[in-house]
Amino acid sequence: MVKQQISPGKRPKNPLAKRVWKDIVRDRKRYFMIFAMLVVTIGFVSGMYVANNSMMTTLDEKVETLHREDGHFELSATADQPLIEAIESGDMADMVTIFRERAYAEAEDEVEKAVREATEKEVENQVESAIRTQTESAVDSRLNALKASGAPISEKDRQSAIDEAFKKAMDENYDSAVNEAKKKAFSSDEYSSAVSEAMDEAKKEIDKTISEEYEELADRYELDDDSFKPVPVSVYELFCKDNDETISTGSSGRIRVYNERTDVDLYDILSGRAPESENEIIIDRMHADNADISIGDNLKVGSVSYKVVGLCAFADYSTLYENNNDTMFDALTFDVGMVTNKGFERLKGIPHYFYAFLYEDRPSDIYEEKEHSDRFMKALITQTAVSESEIEIKDFVPAYANHAIQFAPDDMGSDKAMGGVLLYILTAVLAFIFAVTIGTTLDKESTVIGTLRASGYTKGEMLRYYMSAPLIIVIAAAIVGNILGYTVMKKVVVAMYYNSYSLPTYKTIWTPDAFVRTTIIPILLMLVINFVVIVKTLRLSPLRFLRHDLKRTRRAKAIKLPRWKFFRRFRVRVFLQNIPNYIMLFIGITFVMLLLSMAVGMPETLDYYKDSVNDMMFAQDQVMLTSTEDDDGNTITTKTEGAERFSLTALEYRSEDLSEEVTVYGVSDNSKYIKLDSDLDDNAESGSEIPVYISKSFSEKYKLAAGDTITLSEKYEHKEYKWRVYAVHDYSAGIAVFMTNARFNTVFDREEGSFSGYMSDEMITDIDEDYIAKEITSEDLTKLSQQLDHSMGSYMVYFQYVCVIVAAIIIYLLTKIIIEKNERAISMVKILGYTDSEIASLYLITTGLVVFLSEFLAMYLGYEIMSIFWRTIMMSLGGWYDFVMTTSGFVKEFLLVFIAYIIIAVIDFVRIKNVPKILALKNVE
Amino acid sequence: MSDKDFLKVKELKRSFGTGDTRQDVLKGLDFTVAKGEFCVLLGPSGSGKSTLLNILGGIDSADSGEIYINGDRLADMNEKSLTQYRRKHLGYVFQMYNLIPNLNVKENIETGAYLSDNPLDIDELLKILGLYDHRHKLPNQLSGGQQQRVSIGRAIVKNPDILLCDEPTGALDYTTSKEILHLIEEVNKKYGNTVIMVTHNEAIRQMADHVIKLRDGVIRHDTLNKKKITAAELEW
Repeated sequence: MVKQQISPGKRPKNPLAKRVWKDIVRDRKRYFMIFAMLVVTIGFVSGMYVANNSMMTTLDEKVETLHREDGHFELSATADQPLIEAIESGDMADMVTIFRERAYAEAEDEVEKAVREATEKEVENQVESAIRTQTESAVDSRLNALKASGAPISEKDRQSAIDEAFKKAMDENYDSAVNEAKKKAFSSDEYSSAVSEAMDEAKKEIDKTISEEYEELADRYELDDDSFKPVPVSVYELFCKDNDETISTGSSGRIRVYNERTDVDLYDILSGRAPESENEIIIDRMHADNADISIGDNLKVGSVSYKVVGLCAFADYSTLYENNNDTMFDALTFDVGMVTNKGFERLKGIPHYFYAFLYEDRPSDIYEEKEHSDRFMKALITQTAVSESEIEIKDFVPAYANHAIQFAPDDMGSDKAMGGVLLYILTAVLAFIFAVTIGTTLDKESTVIGTLRASGYTKGEMLRYYMSAPLIIVIAAAIVGNILGYTVMKKVVVAMYYNSYSLPTYKTIWTPDAFVRTTIIPILLMLVINFVVIVKTLRLSPLRFLRHDLKRTRRAKAIKLPRWKFFRRFRVRVFLQNIPNYIMLFIGITFVMLLLSMAVGMPETLDYYKDSVNDMMFAQDQVMLTSTEDDDGNTITTKTEGAERFSLTALEYRSEDLSEEVTVYGVSDNSKYIKLDSDLDDNAESGSEIPVYISKSFSEKYKLAAGDTITLSEKYEHKEYKWRVYAVHDYSAGIAVFMTNARFNTVFDREEGSFSGYMSDEMITDIDEDYIAKEITSEDLTKLSQQLDHSMGSYMVYFQYVCVIVAAIIIYLLTKIIIEKNERAISMVKILGYTDSEIASLYLITTGLVVFLSEFLAMYLGYEIMSIFWRTIMMSLGGWYDFVMTTSGFVKEFLLVFIAYIIIAVIDFVRIKNVPKILALKNVE
Repeated sequence: MSDKDFLKVKELKRSFGTGDTRQDVLKGLDFTVAKGEFCVLLGPSGSGKSTLLNILGGIDSADSGEIYINGDRLADMNEKSLTQYRRKHLGYVFQMYNLIPNLNVKENIETGAYLSDNPLDIDELLKILGLYDHRHKLPNQLSGGQQQRVSIGRAIVKNPDILLCDEPTGALDYTTSKEILHLIEEVNKKYGNTVIMVTHNEAIRQMADHVIKLRDGVIRHDTLNKKKITAAELEW
């Protein structure tokens, strides 16, 4: 047979490409949900990356332009020029030699003086004795002559004659004789050898003492470092005074005022100008915002008044940490300001002798910076130790370990990392939802796929077609998300940063990193997850598709169910049929619960600490004294009821992550505030390590229990203390160690009966303010929770709503799949006469139960994951707060997700209601 | 190879299952089909006719035996070449039309045209199929017969050498079935494709050039129809 009249046509464009758009339009609700979720997440994360990168780059640039310090140290007094020069050399002083030479020189004088004195005494005694012998003999021979002449001479006469002659002889000859004898003695060999022998003894003793003390210090700071190279630095004075800050509306906390900064740690003025006269001050912008201070306001620093002329961000205070050991910064009640040098003189009080330093040879990375800092500290310790002036190092903080400098960039960095992780988790969840959707579509279109494959469509063509919709959605979402990120979201994130940190003015830096992380990675995730799922199914033969036989593992028989009622068995069947969807639902709910654990748990934890801080404080008022004696030398006392003396000092506990400050308390025997075992000190005798109580926070943070040994050390001295944990004291507001005051005084070599201050549940009001160094009240302990609450409290509420929306979308997408998959069955049971409510109960109750049970498990998992996450955060900070989730918090989490489900259940009910009866009678297409 | 041996099947065997459950579906088939021939594979359910068609279409494989199409040995082809073979030489029509629900009539036919380097003119084909006025309709707006026409259109638009039809009238009423058979007949005449149609309808044998009757996996009759009638003349 011959073909007739064939009219060749044109090969059309791939009709499946056209179908992709039709698919997207057909499933617009689903795609819109996924698109919207991706846009918001990508937008926010992209905004975070852009804001973050811009801010971090700005901060990096400001290190140079504002001459930010490489670190600072505090001395107990002003350093003189030779000491500054010695420190600037960055070289280690040869402590042993210098101390030895000094001790030898001192000893030489001492020894010679002692030997000389002994010799002189000896010579004097000898001369006196010689004169006495000579005088006696002369008097006796004279009296014997008189006796012989018959003169009566009594013994009394003899003695008085001797005394008289001795006195005369002494007056006439003693000095010259002594001088002559001394001259002779000092020039004798015996004298020289006595001096030299004594000196040798002294030197031996000196060498022994120096070597013992030095070895301990050298061990601790690794001073015996043959490869040590000097780290030359430039040192700048950065003196400041701490005072109370008062504005017209009352106290607004404390302020640290610096004198004029010209060389180092400069500042970025955000509004106004720098102070020009002695009555002007520039302060930190962040604190000004929080305390509602504006330019032009009058600010009282202690009792001295200044006019605020500018608001700025200091290079060394991107985060307002009052002390480097504080658990959290405090931009609410702590302020930093700067006045002119004359303005500084107006301030009362003793300054902090801070010195900032800059390395001459700038370190290129953090490792080199740490190495520089270690070397410089050796130089600083040794040079200060050998200094002629009696100066001590009170603090040494390299920039990399300075929270005031590092916390903001670190936190922004971790925000970025966390944002990235959330984005990837959410993209993965959405990609899986896509994959499940596509799995359902493949199942639904099985025969069409079979026909197309049988007609000659390749696997690759089918794969590209089914991959197209998810890719188009994720690419579109990435583009829109990035546009949002670079515009709106960036501002939102920057506002969040400005709300927490003292940051300089920034300029937006366009970064490819944000693009890659928020576009390429989500696209790849979507691509890979969908690729795997689709390829796995497309591997089946066209015949399998034509026969609608896509199950890879064929179940020989349906699972046999007990003789339950029909409805119950039906629901179990629905569950068994949709296990992959329900697994996705569980993963989605776990993801939401993790977010909710943060959104609900964080404010819960803060509230918990705020509410229970009064219970946590062992005494409501603790007053630290500058001195325990008043100007008249009398011990300072208080009549406050229940007041007890206590002692306090700070030591360091070193762990792998950080050196944590530990407060050591010495408390009265039988203290009513901190109840210690009455035979605690008796216990000490039985073992070599002193038994102490540790606070609950200390125990929880470092997993310490009774019987463990803790090693605490002095910060910049060579002393180490090894104590045995006797018990844990229920105190969660700080990392602390407790012992009796008597023990405290022995351990720290203090005089018997010494103490540092008073504690009482009543406010202590009868001690002169001049003698009060510091007063600790509950407000000091709520600093952390207040600051955290301020920084992110309000965002957490929004975050809770976001979680509900995310939960609703995930449940919506997955239940939609379940209902779509069962549309024909739903249609069929409708034909059989089931009511919409009965049908809804079959499908919705099953999903409802899965949501219900998933919630419990997901809540537990979310809580556990969040606790680990929280622990990681707290381990990098000083102090310890356990992650708290109250029962009401769990109930809230549960309800939020369940409300999301109820909303979706209503939508699903309408969806079931709208399934047409005719569907069951149609051909399977 | 002559046109008479366009399709050559030798000792073709196929079984399913193993051990006690093993079932020999094709027990050694031998036949040839000439180029342009209208061949009907006839037989009751379970006789192995659909399995044979699937093996001929390269979507199932034989346990042993040989198939040569236009001189090419099917067993020599790997999965990729089999797909290309189906793409270039075969058109498939199924009992269930398997149309893409959200593509209209013309677009459904385009899915076939896209596979060919020299497809037929779609509009002209639509007219031949009687679907030109319905070309913008979606499958669910068409009757069963119209849907099967679309399915035939999708198969022949790429101008295949062989048109494989698996019970194309199985889901249709008498009148519509005759219309579809007429259409296949017309296509065979007009385009000269070799048509292999699986059916259990004995009446259809009368319109075929070549009838192969199967039962229990073996060929009972392999005859050439000398008194062929048109589809319009068929009665059952």
